[in-house]
Amino acid sequence: MATLHVLSHSPFTDSRLSSCLRVLGSDDAIFLCGDASYALRADTATAQLLSAKTGRLKLFVLDEDATARNIALPDWAQGVDYAGFVALSVQYDKVNTWL
Amino acid sequence: MKFAIALHSPAHAPSSRRALLFAKAALAQGHEIVRLFFYQDGVHSASGNVVSPQDESDTAVQWRDFVITHQLDGVVCIAAALRRGVLNAEEAERYSRPAANLPAPWELSGLGQLHDAVQTADRLICFGGP
Repeated sequence: MATLHVLSHSPFTDSRLSSCLRVLGSDDAIFLCGDASYALRADTATAQLLSAKTGRLKLFVLDEDATARNIALPDWAQGVDYAGFVALSVQYDKVNTWL
Repeated sequence: MKFAIALHSPAHAPSSRRALLFAKAALAQGHEIVRLFFYQDGVHSASGNVVSPQDESDTAVQWRDFVITHQLDGVVCIAAALRRGVLNAEEAERYSRPAANLPAPWELSGLGQLHDAVQTADRLICFGGP
C-alpha cells in the first residue's frame, strides 16, 4: 500500500528522516515541509544521502517552506503547493505523518 | 474524497497553519472534511483566549472562522482539553473553575470521535510538531 510519509522536523535535530528511510516501501514517497525541508540544503550529509537514492526515491517538498528557508530545489525533488499536497494525499493510499 | 484531519499542535506552531491551509485547499478541490479533531496541544488552537501579537497572523481565530464558514464538525478532545485548561462553560461549572474559554463552534468530545472519523473518511491526515 503506497504511503506518503510527511516530515516536518529538521533532519539535523532528530532521527525521523533516517528512520523513515529505513522503513520506506518501494511505492512510498516522502513529503518534506517545515524545517524538514532543510534536508534538501546543498552540501549537507542529508542531501547527499537523498540524492544518492535518485531514481528510486520519490521526494516532494512544500514550496513555501523551501522558499522561506532559501533552499534551492535540487532536480531530484519536486516542489508542490497546498493544492499539490492535497492531490498527493489523494494519490497515495495512506498518509503517515512523523509527528 | 472524504478527509479526517487531526491536529496535534497549538495555534502558534507552523503545523497548525499548515493544517488550516491544507484543509482550505481540500475544500477548494471539492473534497469533504468529515471531522476536524483537535488533540493533545492542538486543543489550544480552539481556545478563545489566545491573543496573537498584532504583527502575526491569528491562526486560532482563522480556525474558528473556517469551521463556522464551512459548518464543519470541529471536535476538541475533552481529556486533552481539560488537562490544558481549555474548558467550555459546562466543564468549568462541573470542576468549579473560574472561567470558560472554549466558545462555539467547538465541541468537547472523546477520542471515540477520532476513531469514528477515521472509519468514515477515506484519508486521515495528521498535523503536529513544528
